[in-house]
Amino acid sequence: MKIRHLASLAAVAVGALALTACSGGGPAASSGGASGGGDTLTVWHYFTDPQQVKLMDEYKTKFETDHQGAKVDNVFVPYDQLNSKLISSAGAGKGPDVVVFNGADAATLTLGGVLAPMDKYWDSFADKDKFPEGTTQVINGKLYAAQGYVNVLGLWYNKDILDKIGVQPPTTMDELEADMAKAKAAGFGGITLSGLPNSQGEWQAYPWLTEAGFSYQKPDASALHDGLNRIKKWVDNGWLPQQAATWDQTVPFQQFAAGKFAFAENGNWQQGTAKADAKFEYGVVPLPVGSEGKVYLGGEGEGIGAFSKNQDLAWEYLKDTYYDKDGELLAPKLVGSLPARTDAAQDSSVTSNALLKAFADTIAKSGATYPDGVVPPKAVADVQLAGGQAFSAVIGGQKSPADAANGAITSLKGLLG
Amino acid sequence: MQATTVRAGAAVSAAPASAAGRVNRVRRGDVTTRHRWAFLLPGAVLMGVLGLFPLFQLVWMSLHDVTQATINAPTWAWAGLHNFAAGFTSGNSWPALGRTLVVVLVVTVLGMAAGFAAAVALRTSGRWSGFLLGLMVFVWALPPVVNGSVWKFLLGDDGLVNTVLHGLGVSQPLPFLYDPTWSLFSVAFVGAIAVIPFNALVYRAALLAIEPEVFEAASLDGASRWGEVRHVMIPSVRATTAVLLVLTIVYAFRSFDFIYVMTYGGPGTATNTLPFLGFLQAFAQYDFGLGAATSVLAVILVLVLAVVYARSIRKEEKD
Amino acid sequence: MNLKAGPVAVIVKAFFTALYGVPLLWIVLTSLKKSSDVVGGSLLFRPTTAAYARSFNGDLFTALGQSVTIAVGTTALVLLVGVPAAYGLARTRGWVASLGLGLLVVLQMLPQTAQVIPLFSLLGQWRLLDNVGGVILADAALLAPFATLLLRPFFRSVPSALEEAGAIDGAGVVRTFWSIVLPVARNGVLTIASITFLLAWGEFLYAVRFFLTPSNYPLSALLSQQVSAFGIDWPGLMALAVLTSLPILAVFTATYRLLRDGLTVGAVK
Repeated sequence: MKIRHLASLAAVAVGALALTACSGGGPAASSGGASGGGDTLTVWHYFTDPQQVKLMDEYKTKFETDHQGAKVDNVFVPYDQLNSKLISSAGAGKGPDVVVFNGADAATLTLGGVLAPMDKYWDSFADKDKFPEGTTQVINGKLYAAQGYVNVLGLWYNKDILDKIGVQPPTTMDELEADMAKAKAAGFGGITLSGLPNSQGEWQAYPWLTEAGFSYQKPDASALHDGLNRIKKWVDNGWLPQQAATWDQTVPFQQFAAGKFAFAENGNWQQGTAKADAKFEYGVVPLPVGSEGKVYLGGEGEGIGAFSKNQDLAWEYLKDTYYDKDGELLAPKLVGSLPARTDAAQDSSVTSNALLKAFADTIAKSGATYPDGVVPPKAVADVQLAGGQAFSAVIGGQKSPADAANGAITSLKGLLG
Repeated sequence: MQATTVRAGAAVSAAPASAAGRVNRVRRGDVTTRHRWAFLLPGAVLMGVLGLFPLFQLVWMSLHDVTQATINAPTWAWAGLHNFAAGFTSGNSWPALGRTLVVVLVVTVLGMAAGFAAAVALRTSGRWSGFLLGLMVFVWALPPVVNGSVWKFLLGDDGLVNTVLHGLGVSQPLPFLYDPTWSLFSVAFVGAIAVIPFNALVYRAALLAIEPEVFEAASLDGASRWGEVRHVMIPSVRATTAVLLVLTIVYAFRSFDFIYVMTYGGPGTATNTLPFLGFLQAFAQYDFGLGAATSVLAVILVLVLAVVYARSIRKEEKD
Repeated sequence: MNLKAGPVAVIVKAFFTALYGVPLLWIVLTSLKKSSDVVGGSLLFRPTTAAYARSFNGDLFTALGQSVTIAVGTTALVLLVGVPAAYGLARTRGWVASLGLGLLVVLQMLPQTAQVIPLFSLLGQWRLLDNVGGVILADAALLAPFATLLLRPFFRSVPSALEEAGAIDGAGVVRTFWSIVLPVARNGVLTIASITFLLAWGEFLYAVRFFLTPSNYPLSALLSQQVSAFGIDWPGLMALAVLTSLPILAVFTATYRLLRDGLTVGAVK
């Protein structure tokens, strides 16, 4: 009886092995994984949001319609895994035809040999002048990617709360702090943001730190100290929840959308969440970071895979979708991102949208290249981590603003050379 | 089966294998030992090829300068012990080591004690036991991103735990996930919760293997429930305890998922343990050499454990 | 044997029921919420099965097939190498056993993230990338040390006298192992088999890295699609987690029954 159990288990086991062995050459080995030549383009991306996936689908349809016979294969890779998967694939001489990646990682991917230089296509691209500075990724003198659209942070506000405490959306730092104090007194939270100790935290900290006079050009401990001190004050006054120290960018917006906070520092891509979840009137104004403050121009970079057997077709795809005026206008329509091309950004569909306009104003007024051009490519990832950790340490109370500033400056000096 | 009688007799002693093994060795130990070596072969091949190669490469990487720019290059530049030194001079490795030891201590003590307690309680048959064991295994098998996120919600300022504590009269929400000290204990606690079902499951299988006669003998001697646990169960599962202890410590040493999901090493660097630091260095800073050195450091610490375990096995044999 | 639950056991069980029941309850409740109801954690909400409806599509069943193949294949391979190895280590003495056990512990310690890169190049050379066989091999290599270490005590507690009886009857080593040792150690083997199955079912990193085509992803990798840099679909994540873990319950229930039988084996015979 017992022996029969074990014997049948073993039989199942052997059967399964045989099955596996047989399926080796089956559907698993089909195309899709990497550039396969022919007329099929493989595009790797990390989008999971239905609207963002839809944008990828629309681009696929657009290109397949414009280029008879060509086929586009959109391949999802989890965000956390995309960079290392690309780098290890490059080691095996494999990779997609087109890579859609977090623009901040352009340096890492270029150094990893993932991207092919695009200069020869770009130089003869008639519309190249329509791409403002900060939307092309130039590393060590070569252009590896451009952005079809831009994501930036703005100051979201809960209009119901602002009405209740009788204030208008803030335009200066003093107004913001006064409003947060009033919101707090009325029993609401002040602001939500992400203080995650990684690149996300650094991206969220940058506007506040530059407002205080900090720059990577001349990293100065006292300016950084001032910036971190302000954040510390927000925590101490109960305007910014200490929990933000380990919040990623999603949670703070969900908190804001639940109606408990007057403000949120978050991006244009949250328009869908706001529409679906917020049961109050809301709006966006540029972050009140004055004339000194800078806001990174984020978003995805699009480049050609170094191991693509179809680089010409890959360029045609990019030119027809991400770098095309009509193609770029799909981005604000579907996901609320801002077109990179100046002519697309001036389109009435963009300028007539009040939320988008606030973000567009931010770009015009305080937009900054992301990551900062003075950071050497090989130090980008380290700088982002160091910045994020300092920000998080101050919010969570692990370090005093002075200690965090001094520690960050020490490591920055080594990294910036 | 004729063997049953022999087995029942042998099982009365708490450690039947060693008692019978001694007899065995005296009579014809050589023959049995030699033939068993062949059994090791398939495992040696699989783990030798797919296990030792990564180990070798990890050590090799830790001795070289490897970044995203050079990882795919045919050769890496020799760095000697520079990566190890860099870890310590940057001020990251020592605190990470201390935090790791805290996590290991919490996870091991909670994981072993609660795992055994659960196994003893669940040894009884009945609906509740079956349901609870199923529940524990189900939760254990959920992906870390799910378990980690759930606990992140439960331990938040307006989460269930703080709500209950508030109801009990605690005025301020406890800073489980953002105070530097609390957060380390929180991730360790969740790590322990995740290992208890596994330990309970294995302990339970070991407890079920204890011969009923042993319990009968104990109850004839008038042993209480606690006496049963102390004098029958704990000694009978000693070998299982040893291996579970090793596995739990190793699990705690490499515990990474919950930190990733719950705090990302934060606030600041307060939950940067060795495995998480190694991850950050390799996959956030793309300094693969530095990350490998941090991982090797953890492996070396566990090597001590491995030696202790292997020696305890030899002692077990000599008993 | 005292199998009736005493008061202490009841308290212990109540404690663990709460410790694991509350998170599970929370998961199930979240899966039934709209995303706008998740933050705030209130118990008052209108339940919706929308998240489940969204999860149910063709991809789910393709991924289910992949998960079954991977988990069954991995469990089989791990048992195939781990069971003999554990038995061998339980019966081998001297430096081989010590070295073997020590190495197993060290292998157990290797971070999985550190193994991805070398394994990627190995599997690439063997043309096993984007192939379910490659993922099974990698998963088996990951879980075999662990399974072997765990199995060893179960084989050690098989009295050698039993084997000698077999040998006296003239059975060879393999037959003795198969017909005498293995049945006695079956509780352990089944437990470790089910644990291996569950771990292989949930393994995610290798699946995402070694499958280059997302249509080959198993369920565990599908789960990761609920989490991204741009937002987390909490109800979707929890619903998919519940759905993808249901098969686990089936496997567990099956082994649980077998284990209970195991309890009475000694007494009945």
